[in-house]
Amino acid sequence: MRALDLDYMLGLVPVILGYVPLTLIMAGAGMVLALILGSLLAVERVFKVPVLDWLVMLFISFFRGTPLLVQLFLFYYGLPQVLSFLTQINGVTAAIMGLTLHFSAYMAESIRAAIAGVDRSQWEAAQSIGMTQGQMMRRIVLPQATRIAAPTLVNYFIDMIKGTSLAFTLGVTEMMGAAQKEAAGSFLYFEAFLVVAIIYWIIVEILNQGQQRLEIWLNKGYVR
Amino acid sequence: MLKQILPAISVAATIAGAPVLAQDTETLRVGMSGGYFPFTFVRQDELQGFEVDVMNAVGEEAGLEIEFETMSFSGLIGALEAERIDTIANQITITPEREAKFIFTQPYVVDGAQVVTREGNSEIEGIEDLSGKTVAVNLGSNFEQLLRDLPNADEIDIRTYESNIEQDTALGRVDAFVMDRVSSAQVIAESPLPLELAGAPFSEIRNALPFRSDEAGQAMRDRVDAALTSLQEDGTLTEISHKWFDSDITKSAE
Repeated sequence: MRALDLDYMLGLVPVILGYVPLTLIMAGAGMVLALILGSLLAVERVFKVPVLDWLVMLFISFFRGTPLLVQLFLFYYGLPQVLSFLTQINGVTAAIMGLTLHFSAYMAESIRAAIAGVDRSQWEAAQSIGMTQGQMMRRIVLPQATRIAAPTLVNYFIDMIKGTSLAFTLGVTEMMGAAQKEAAGSFLYFEAFLVVAIIYWIIVEILNQGQQRLEIWLNKGYVR
Repeated sequence: MLKQILPAISVAATIAGAPVLAQDTETLRVGMSGGYFPFTFVRQDELQGFEVDVMNAVGEEAGLEIEFETMSFSGLIGALEAERIDTIANQITITPEREAKFIFTQPYVVDGAQVVTREGNSEIEGIEDLSGKTVAVNLGSNFEQLLRDLPNADEIDIRTYESNIEQDTALGRVDAFVMDRVSSAQVIAESPLPLELAGAPFSEIRNALPFRSDEAGQAMRDRVDAALTSLQEDGTLTEISHKWFDSDITKSAE
């Protein structure tokens, strides 16, 4: 057994930290876009618009049914052979697109479940005072559904942060890619991958703290 | 890192309907893995190695701006085809299959395929001894094909890897790996991994820069090829080779 090269690890920390913003930008953009798309899909699933519903089900089925890595390869290396303008899309954009489509399918399902979890009497009350369907969703149902869906949505965000590590296969040097390349130059695999693991862990732990505060804030109206 | 985000934004703008920015003809986008010591590797976030020096010298000679793009090795050929990069500087060996698809410059490295084992493994002294053994090789590399073409290929358990074949051999998960002689020797000399060369190199390989075989690719190939000729003649390539390998790998050993 050899001793850990601590000096090497310390030297690597600022290098890997330099890639944290890129990871957060990819995951953050993916999260915002996936939330919007996921909510739209969920609302559609609740109202079951003819024809559209069939398409949405197909979309969700495909993006939940295939691995994220396969989807990323499909967009980045596959589709440009068919649609040449897609070569204009760089790795970062393709990664964000992949994360958005993949996770919006998952989010659609958990947001739909959360909407279904809002008591039926709330819907009826909203209708009884003459709200339109749009007003009812916006003012009554979605705010309550958000509270129910929040923990799973934060979970997806955590998954998304870790999912950005696949972007290296698209030529985006993010945290994992940087660690991989440093390891290939130094052959100190354990040190390099340990540093990147600890940094991911710290980021997710910070998010965990945020999640707890978010839940307390969302539950304010329900404290008895 | 900013370099990666800015294009993302400009691409987003392009999609939103802004006019497509004209591709700068003076820029040569060079793809490499950044994970093939000592040809292309990263230390403290700095991309370096033999390939980096050669391409920078080519850029200076040919009056081209060199832009390095790093991505996993198996993605490089796809990226070249998809016009995401203009060439690959990652010890790409000239093979008939690749020549059918791409056009190459003159070879700038002459090398051999080498079997490497864990230190102290005396069972493997050459390719004949690989029968019944597990052998690691980089996915999509020319060495994979070389292994599959061996007369005893049926008896070899060939494992393809995205990276880290040296580590898996050192850990004993596979019996050997096959890579080029020059970087194998360099890995053994400079890494802490317990590895050793097994026998003599078994095939001469000539490595060059591939380009797409369209008109623009042809023009760029000719320009880079002319630069390689002058760098070969004025001794620059030999100098770069000595810097990294203490020997001249840019010419046939005779």
